[in-house]
Amino acid sequence: MKIFFIILIYFFSLNFEAKLKIEIIKGSEELPDIAIVPFKSSFGRQFEYDIRDLINEKLTLFGEFNSLELERMLSFPFNEESFYRRDWELLSMDYVVFGEVYETEGKLVLNYLVADIDLKRIILRGDITGDKKNIELITKKISDRVYESITGLKGIFNTKLAYILNPEPNKYSICVSDIDGDNEKILFSSNSPLMSPDWSPDGNKLAYVSFEKGFAEIYIQNLLTGIRETIPTLGMSKSAPVWSPDSKNLAFVISMSGNPDIYNYNLKNNKISRLTSHYGIDTEPAWSPDGKKLLFTSNRSGSPQIFEIKISNKRIKRVTLDGSYNARARFFPNGKNIVFVHGNNGIFHIATRNLKDRFVNIVTQTTLDESPTISPNGHIIIYSTKKENQGYLAGITIDRKSKFQLPVKKGSVREPSWSPFLN
Amino acid sequence: MKFLKSLPLIFLIFLISCSTQVSDSISQTNYKEVEGINFDEKDKIDTSLEDKVFFDFDKSTLNNDTKKILSQYVAESEKAKIIRLEGHCDERGTREYNLALGEKRAIEVKNYLIIQGVSSSKIKIISYGEEKPISFGSTESDWKQNRRVEIALF
Repeated sequence: MKIFFIILIYFFSLNFEAKLKIEIIKGSEELPDIAIVPFKSSFGRQFEYDIRDLINEKLTLFGEFNSLELERMLSFPFNEESFYRRDWELLSMDYVVFGEVYETEGKLVLNYLVADIDLKRIILRGDITGDKKNIELITKKISDRVYESITGLKGIFNTKLAYILNPEPNKYSICVSDIDGDNEKILFSSNSPLMSPDWSPDGNKLAYVSFEKGFAEIYIQNLLTGIRETIPTLGMSKSAPVWSPDSKNLAFVISMSGNPDIYNYNLKNNKISRLTSHYGIDTEPAWSPDGKKLLFTSNRSGSPQIFEIKISNKRIKRVTLDGSYNARARFFPNGKNIVFVHGNNGIFHIATRNLKDRFVNIVTQTTLDESPTISPNGHIIIYSTKKENQGYLAGITIDRKSKFQLPVKKGSVREPSWSPFLN
Repeated sequence: MKFLKSLPLIFLIFLISCSTQVSDSISQTNYKEVEGINFDEKDKIDTSLEDKVFFDFDKSTLNNDTKKILSQYVAESEKAKIIRLEGHCDERGTREYNLALGEKRAIEVKNYLIIQGVSSSKIKIISYGEEKPISFGSTESDWKQNRRVEIALF
């Protein structure tokens, strides 16, 4: 019987949770002031406040707005007739979000509006219908629309984050959670290292590296069915998988007798083509949004630097020139800017750069920063860093107006990978 | 006691629910037969030699001390069927680059052993990059211990 208990404890202990929660550590003084009014409804006061709180939680998730406290509101508009602009001018608001919710044929209908106080007009009128049990998703979609109407950027509240959880030495899990930390799911756990998660462009699969068989092997796991597959090619040590934007190819690194090079694997016809063939280290490929180029890290010039290869003619060009260590680049969705790890004198920051100029823009202050991932709207970077022997995730908006952390209670979290936009 | 009797059942249900969450079906390849070797740490040959050699940051070159240690392995390796070399890095820099760097380190050790007369077919290498540190801190003395190749004879 004792053995049973031990086995039970062992299995339960596999269910480590990180439960990432975003904590804002610095909000700028110049953040837009926003008021999110309780949604008028016939379901009672509590429901009105709940809807408001769900939207408020999301819009303020990354510290991009100052949200007005309920107690300071002078009126509670729910449609254009009940909206008095002067009430909000008095409170120096920039934007007001308000609306109402009712039920038709068993479904919830939410009408919502966004007023721009400066422009003196309603900038968004929307309605959304759905089941009450999907209120979380409904409020995510509303928040996405509101965010877009104010910033001009698509909202990212209905996206996910994949990451590697390392709750204690020699325990590794690959996890996926909603971007706000809710619904954390462990996809796979192992006593051997797991690395390099990367989302398929449709958001249904993850590619990653696992050492479960005693060598680095790439797995593709379906998030809906949980089924895992390997890639049927030879070669010792496969790593750094990245999906092409059209989902047809997976670029990754194969090391043949200690010489890592970049390969492109066609997922449709299983054909593999070698892209680089240098005796030095070539690794960390990253697709350009148009799928025509790959960035990669190479030490062919002596120290790790970022290079670019054109898929069509395999022509290689050096990208980074300044600093002794530039590695693991990712393109911004605009295809013009890149984010990467920039090291000088043993200190490693996250940096961004426009490919057209040489200026290196260092965006972090901590010293062991790595694995930057960019939100699908190109506005936020999440990366991993370390403090007191604990790895944790942190983030920053690219206008640097907000900084945040996603701490964990126990163990380390690393290698964040932001999902594409999801439906 | 009734509860205890039902424990195996609970356990079984738990196992089933686990297996549906993470279905571990792997497509068949001939890869495993080519590279896969199952090492049992119990079969390790005790050599009383230094089982780790160390490296400078972002380097895979062997220093003289390292070469001295490796030379001592030449005689010992006669007894061994397999020599396993595990490359590791410190936490600085990027993970995938470090995975490649750890492999370069293991390869440098392998090449040196081959030059000294060790049969190359006996040598198996693996890199863990920065994933398996010995020392978990973030000071130079931690990093120094982590930039290593571990040598094991089987």
